[in-house]
Amino acid sequence: MIHRPLPRRCALWLSASVLAGASQAATVELSLQAGDGKPLADAVVFLESKEARAAAKPSAGVEIEQAAKRFTHRVSVVTLGSEVAFPNRDKVRHHVYSFSPTKTFELKLYAGTPANPVLFDKAGIAVLGCNIHDNMVAWVVVVETPYHGLSSADGKVKLDNVPPGSYRLRSWHPGLPTGAPALDQALTVAADGTAATLRLPVVGGTAP
Amino acid sequence: MRTRTLLASRRLSTRIVALFLGLLLLVQAAGFGVISATIEGSARGTLARELEVGERIWRRLLEQKADALVQGATLLAADYGFRSAVSSGDTDTLGSALENHSARIGAQIGAWIDTTLEVKAVHDEGGSMADTAVLQRVAAELARQPRASQVALLGGRPFRFVAVPVKAPLVIGWVLMGFPIDLALLEDMRDLSGLQVVLATPGADGRLQAGVSTLGANAADALRSGDDSAVVDGTQMVTRRVSLAAGSGASVVLLRPVADAVAPFRQLQWLLLAITLVAVAVFGIVSVFMARHITTPLRTLVGASVRLGQGDYTQPLQHTDRSDEIGDLAKAFDTMRVNIAAHAAEVHQLAYRDRLTGLPNRAQFRAAVRDAIETGAHAGSQFAVVMLDLNRFKHVNDVLGYRFGDLLLKAVAERITGHGVREGDLVARLSGDEFALLLLGADATLALAVAERIADVFELPLLLEDQTVDLSAGFGIACWPAHASDADVLLSRAEVAMYTAKRKTASALVYDPVIDVGSAQTLSLLSELRHALDHDELRLFLQPKIALATGKMVAAEALVRWQHPSRGMLPPVQFIPYAEQTGFVRQLTLWMFEATARAWPQLAALGIQRVSVNLSSRDLMDTELPAKLDAILARHGMTSAAFCLEITESAIMDEPQRAQATLVALSAAGFKLSIDDFGTGYSSLAYLKQLPVDELKIDKSFVIGMEGDADDAKIVRLIIDLAHNLNLTVVAEGVENAAVMAQLRALACDEAQGYHLCRPVPVPELVAFAARWQARPNEAASAALH
Repeated sequence: MIHRPLPRRCALWLSASVLAGASQAATVELSLQAGDGKPLADAVVFLESKEARAAAKPSAGVEIEQAAKRFTHRVSVVTLGSEVAFPNRDKVRHHVYSFSPTKTFELKLYAGTPANPVLFDKAGIAVLGCNIHDNMVAWVVVVETPYHGLSSADGKVKLDNVPPGSYRLRSWHPGLPTGAPALDQALTVAADGTAATLRLPVVGGTAP
Repeated sequence: MRTRTLLASRRLSTRIVALFLGLLLLVQAAGFGVISATIEGSARGTLARELEVGERIWRRLLEQKADALVQGATLLAADYGFRSAVSSGDTDTLGSALENHSARIGAQIGAWIDTTLEVKAVHDEGGSMADTAVLQRVAAELARQPRASQVALLGGRPFRFVAVPVKAPLVIGWVLMGFPIDLALLEDMRDLSGLQVVLATPGADGRLQAGVSTLGANAADALRSGDDSAVVDGTQMVTRRVSLAAGSGASVVLLRPVADAVAPFRQLQWLLLAITLVAVAVFGIVSVFMARHITTPLRTLVGASVRLGQGDYTQPLQHTDRSDEIGDLAKAFDTMRVNIAAHAAEVHQLAYRDRLTGLPNRAQFRAAVRDAIETGAHAGSQFAVVMLDLNRFKHVNDVLGYRFGDLLLKAVAERITGHGVREGDLVARLSGDEFALLLLGADATLALAVAERIADVFELPLLLEDQTVDLSAGFGIACWPAHASDADVLLSRAEVAMYTAKRKTASALVYDPVIDVGSAQTLSLLSELRHALDHDELRLFLQPKIALATGKMVAAEALVRWQHPSRGMLPPVQFIPYAEQTGFVRQLTLWMFEATARAWPQLAALGIQRVSVNLSSRDLMDTELPAKLDAILARHGMTSAAFCLEITESAIMDEPQRAQATLVALSAAGFKLSIDDFGTGYSSLAYLKQLPVDELKIDKSFVIGMEGDADDAKIVRLIIDLAHNLNLTVVAEGVENAAVMAQLRALACDEAQGYHLCRPVPVPELVAFAARWQARPNEAASAALH
């Protein structure tokens, strides 16, 4: 795999509205847009900082189901060290694999839930596919922070309990070029919360 | 050359055949040429289209092969193991995976291209000749057109490349696979299209080299030739170059042997040639028959016309039953034959028959005589020729006209043939009033009998158109072989005998060599006469005329005698008639004038006042005569009054108009004119009156007869009265005794001339006579002078 740096041309607009409330934890509300300004779903955002990495704990009970020859969740975000189960709800068998350096694995033809979940022990993005069904594709974003989220259909992501402070705001979407890392920008989370709008250089509101 | 010779041949049949065959061959050759040219063009067109189609097939073949390769490569790219190997990131693993999987689908070159289209790994089965830059360019091209293939040269060899994305599950890169364009592909192309295929690639020196080809060892030939044709291993081929990869210079050359396209037409040409040969044979045979059909009858016509030319009109022509032009020609020939035969018969009739009497003419008679001689020579037989000439026929013609003369001749012919001759004797009219008989087997006695019998028949008066004519004729007989051996001589001897008979007023005479002496003499008379004139053999004789009233010699008649060196003195009757026939008489007349003029002084001394000179009818026709006489008079210093010109009536009547003109001229010149032999002719007095005549000379037959014949005496008296009434003087000739002389004196005749007084004598004798005459005692004594 050869990485090519992406131009960091994403714009970030920060709204200066400070949320009233607890001084220990604040809420970050982010609104994601595609290149054409439309709401962008399935976009991953996460806040990185030294403190956040320390606070990160493996996510528990994460499952990526396969149903109707689809991964039920196209994009999943897990913290480093999480174990992810791949229950097969279809009658046909699947052969889930990943050649991504983040996590290379292979779940040879199986039905039901494989005995051993897959441990994602390296931060990064893994692309998952099924060797039987070429159309099946899913992404697992492994982060080292507890403050992460996935945009809903209206492009909104709300991160709760984020200690105010300075963070690197990372954002990624399957529509970004293959192998591209998450976008990176600074974000200061105010005590009363922060809201921001992110526009990602992807086409349309849906993943490929 | 041969055709020209045949066309120039004189034989019509050869020319017809040659012409027909030549034309046929020309037409066939033209057709053959046109067809050949068309076939050539058509074949080339067909080949060009085939090659065009071939190019499309080639391109479609490449596309189909590319599809297959793409599918193969796609399957390969989807292989999990391959994807695992590629994803491993280990270069060696990647290389071996490329090698393994390339081998699986038969690719010689395999390359891994990442998503940024950079060549990351290359496997080359054939060695390390893969050029990364070329692969990268090809990959970039194929990334844009994923289902296509691309041809590019690697190490000078053309490869087809396909590229497929490798997904895991997203596109993580491209696998590029290269397949050499090999013989199998070209053979596929050949099997599909029927075209030969040669791969051409630019060599190190930039020139095209033959790569693999379906032609084997001869591939290089395909590139050596022109744009669209080549000669491969001696075979003419049409070519088309199809570029393989733009800018690379590599191409495939499609070839198609010309013979393949021409082959079906070749068969057609052979067929056409066979048809031509058969047509030539049939044409030849038919035209030979046709030509014979025309020329064979022509040849028989030629033969027929040759026979006609030889005078054989008996054989009818062939082919007259044909309905074509030949038949028309034959009919025309036959009509011509019949007409010529009729014409020939008519010509024969004209040539050998006398039109007037229908009797054979002289030519036929002569031929008959010749035949008779020939027959006689074989058979030892004899024959006689009787020739007869009517007396006084000329007078009949003159008086009663030619039409009457013709009727008379016909009547004579009838009498001779009807009564005079035996069966089988030939009667011919030789000319004018001359007839002849050929009496076969007759001797002189028998011929004489025949002649006598004819003469007897002639005795009967002939009644023609209310005119009674007395016929008489002279007969001459000559016998073969007694008198001559040759036909012409025999005829001339019969003629001699006949003239002798007439002269002797005998009825018939048989030829006798004695009489022929005279005959032979007359033949050369003319030339002798000329000789005589030139050599002074002619003598002037004069017969005096006595004036009856005074008894004095007042005039004389000039006469000519011929002092012939061998025959003695010849009288005029022996040569004047011939001189008149030939016209020589005019020279004689002039000689007379000349001689008279020379003698004139002597004559004048004797008291002669004028000399009479006879003029013939020939002289009267000579309009120059007055001038010629004038010249003589002038030369001798004479006057015209010294001459009296005597002319017989018949001489005038031969051509009255011209005679009158001449006489008028002479009279005007001062000459006295006298009518000689007056009373025997048929001239009318009315005509006489118109002539400037001064004197009448009574014919001696009347004068001689007047002593014993009262009629003659009356005629003499009438003539004398007539002359005196017309103020003419009268001369009586033929005075042979004193009684007649006395009678004439009584009748007041002006002058007398005759033997009683003096016969014609030369000038010296005349002088002597004059002396005696002067001295005569009286009229009675004069008779005693003779």
